[in-house]
Amino acid sequence: MQWVKDKVREELQKGLIGPDESCQYHPCHFQGQDCSWCFCPFYPCGLPELGETVVSKRSGEPVWSCVDCEFLHRPDVSRAAWELIRAEGIDDPDDPRLAEVFRELRERFNTRAKALMVLGATSDAGKSIVATALCRVLSDMGYSVAPFKSQNMSLNSFVTAGGDEISRAQQLQAMAARVEPDFHINPILLKPKGDAVSQVVVEGRPYADLDVRSYYEGFVPGTGTEVMRRNIEHLMRKHDYLIMEGAGSPAEINIYHRDIANMGAAKAAGADCVLVVNIEKGGAFAYAYGTVMLMPEEDRALVKGILINNMRGDASCLDAGIEELELRLGVPVLGVIPHLDLRLPKEDSLGCRDIDGEGAVVAVIRLPRLSNFTDFDALELEGANVRFVEDPDGLSGADMVVIPGSKNTIGDLEWLKAKGFPPKLRELQGKVPILGICGGYQMMGERIDDPLAVEGPAPSSAEGLGLLRLSTVFDSREKSTLQVEGEAPGGGRVRGYEIHMGRSESHGQRPLFRLKDGEGWRDEGSLDEEGKLMGSYVHGLFDLPAFRSFALSMAGKGPKDGAGDDHGEGVEEGLDRLAAAFRAAIDESALLGGILGALR
Amino acid sequence: MIVGASSAAGKSTVCALLCRIMRRRGMDVAPFKTLNISLNSFVGRNGGEMGMSQAFQAWACGLEPDCRMNPVLIKPHAEGRMQTVLAGRVADGKVAKEEAFAKAMDCYRSLAEEHGHIVIEGSGSAAEINLRHSDIANMRTARATSSPTVIVGDIDSGGVFAGIYGTYMLLPEEERALVKGFVINRFRGDPSILGGAVSRIEEETGTRCFGVMPYLPLRLPSEDSLDMGAPGGLEGEDVRKAWMDNLDRLADEAERSLDIEGLLSLLRGSSP
Repeated sequence: MQWVKDKVREELQKGLIGPDESCQYHPCHFQGQDCSWCFCPFYPCGLPELGETVVSKRSGEPVWSCVDCEFLHRPDVSRAAWELIRAEGIDDPDDPRLAEVFRELRERFNTRAKALMVLGATSDAGKSIVATALCRVLSDMGYSVAPFKSQNMSLNSFVTAGGDEISRAQQLQAMAARVEPDFHINPILLKPKGDAVSQVVVEGRPYADLDVRSYYEGFVPGTGTEVMRRNIEHLMRKHDYLIMEGAGSPAEINIYHRDIANMGAAKAAGADCVLVVNIEKGGAFAYAYGTVMLMPEEDRALVKGILINNMRGDASCLDAGIEELELRLGVPVLGVIPHLDLRLPKEDSLGCRDIDGEGAVVAVIRLPRLSNFTDFDALELEGANVRFVEDPDGLSGADMVVIPGSKNTIGDLEWLKAKGFPPKLRELQGKVPILGICGGYQMMGERIDDPLAVEGPAPSSAEGLGLLRLSTVFDSREKSTLQVEGEAPGGGRVRGYEIHMGRSESHGQRPLFRLKDGEGWRDEGSLDEEGKLMGSYVHGLFDLPAFRSFALSMAGKGPKDGAGDDHGEGVEEGLDRLAAAFRAAIDESALLGGILGALR
Repeated sequence: MIVGASSAAGKSTVCALLCRIMRRRGMDVAPFKTLNISLNSFVGRNGGEMGMSQAFQAWACGLEPDCRMNPVLIKPHAEGRMQTVLAGRVADGKVAKEEAFAKAMDCYRSLAEEHGHIVIEGSGSAAEINLRHSDIANMRTARATSSPTVIVGDIDSGGVFAGIYGTYMLLPEEERALVKGFVINRFRGDPSILGGAVSRIEEETGTRCFGVMPYLPLRLPSEDSLDMGAPGGLEGEDVRKAWMDNLDRLADEAERSLDIEGLLSLLRGSSP
């Protein structure tokens, strides 16, 4: 093994090199890996979580194999290793002080992530916000932390830099954890299409349209379980902590053994669990008790604590209830989290939030399958008054009308017609700006054809609202998911993402945006200034100030003074406030210390 | 007595449709709720103020709303401040709990003398163990009126089996004895997916499931500010008639989905 020692000697001389793009095997472990320690200076460590003893094919002797170990390829670990080695002045691969360095590294970093599962007693218990808070708190403490939710049902999705579609909630958690969002953190995304059928997105790409039964009976036991396991494994090798979020309630005893989102995932990761209950909805103690007690005994033992969420007013009135619950379950209540008014993007389509501002009144039509309502949060920065309306009357008095994205364009277009929106929209044309985003953009055109039955059970066609000279055809099952960046009308930057099926052709109108496309540019969307009509496929188009200001000045309402913020910065502040409020509300030594082992 | 596993479980709707079904069968029935916390109120005959949901339930029974049907109405009007309406009239200052309960039971008895059956609605969740000694609206009312009790759980918000089981288990034994079963509300999809879960809860609690009510997007007058903007249409000119048409549609569905005979049989042996 002298040649290995020689390689290590070279590495000790070279120091940190970061990712080695020139290597023909790069990236042999993961994107962004550090290649400074291609040969490990601590070989053979003998740690069972990092490798195993195998029989050498060449010699027939037992030999330590750690080919899959990624510990020293983590950039944070690699850097720390180099700093310790340099401080000690170690340049010889046989230096006994290397053992000290390795011991120090193992104290500072988890060789395999410690996982914590955040369960909810009901759908809107506050799992997501608790997981988000934990990601930020652990990241603030200097740990490398990744969020994870094996299966998320949501219409609010986000496109990663790799072009993969994941849920918006995990993207926010990645921001909280200060890691780049990728598909590993939400490998299964279910986008409800209506009639109990969902589009199943696996590792960022559309996989199949499945109903509830074929999902649980066909997909989950095979592919679903495998996808869940391999992504957990991937993340656990790269981070100190894995903060997992469950889905719905873990005590849905009718599907308990097919649940890969809650206890199935927790057990795969060897995670301890905390249970979140929402006190505001009533029955929190009963739901907490029932959730724990309906689990099989071996799973119940994994539940290490309970968090009571969304408390308004004085928490001391809960004391008697908490005492009795702890006594009966033998599980401690780790904190009472106050109701927080945080302006963070929400995942749940039930959580459409009206924004009360004093500025422009923006009426967003609340389509039955409205997607990506988080697009409108940024309007709050302009003090806009965003209303979600279900009836044409709700458009009266609006300074701007938005037809948002939809998971079922033709179905929601029919709803729009049945509700009597078209005459009202024609009446407003030219008076106030009407903006269509994604599905709403498609609806504003003359015609939508779905010859391949991409959207519904059978091929269909529909006449659009006829506001824009535009036709859309769903001529492929391909889904476009990409991040985009470019120029807003009137100058300034726009940034967002596209998620759609179907292709639109605009004739006669100006494009709305100019977007970067490889080396060149492409036109996107439609703009009819006279009719004050705008349409685009770009979600997140309001995130940067340029387009907000363009749209609001068309509405006759200038942007608010000093509102030139990037929406992302408001989110960063919200995350810091969340982390601070969370730490103040919990028993830190029990949760961060005892359960997570992070107070060292 | 209909109690909830959580606040918006659908107690008022289940009460309203029971009232409606009993009325359709020619039974003499009236609604009752000891205590409502709501800003949606109605003015009944003689000018007494009461919760909107009992007014609606009264119409379902073919009766004029009467403030005895909701003797205690608490109207929060500012952070930590509330107005108490006692038997239809605004009370001076704070009302002691025992005084309110005594008044409520007077109202109940006088209603019960006039009607053959009373459908009682609980308030919030029945198992707020931190409020065990101050809650007069749920099991305290059930005990005082010796009413057979049914728990309603909302399946749409998740965790319904845990909610119903937990509610039952956290009640003291003498109150558990009043609980005869449960109803699962707002279910979307194919009920066969619930499989053995329902029978497991029946076994664990020794009570029975009176049915699974499907989710129907039909708007009724909502008592709860949380439900503001809930989806669901209303048609016609007179909103009271539109609400009642919706209730009739729900009652038609309930006749198919719930064991109405089983629920009505609870009333035998417990006439007020």
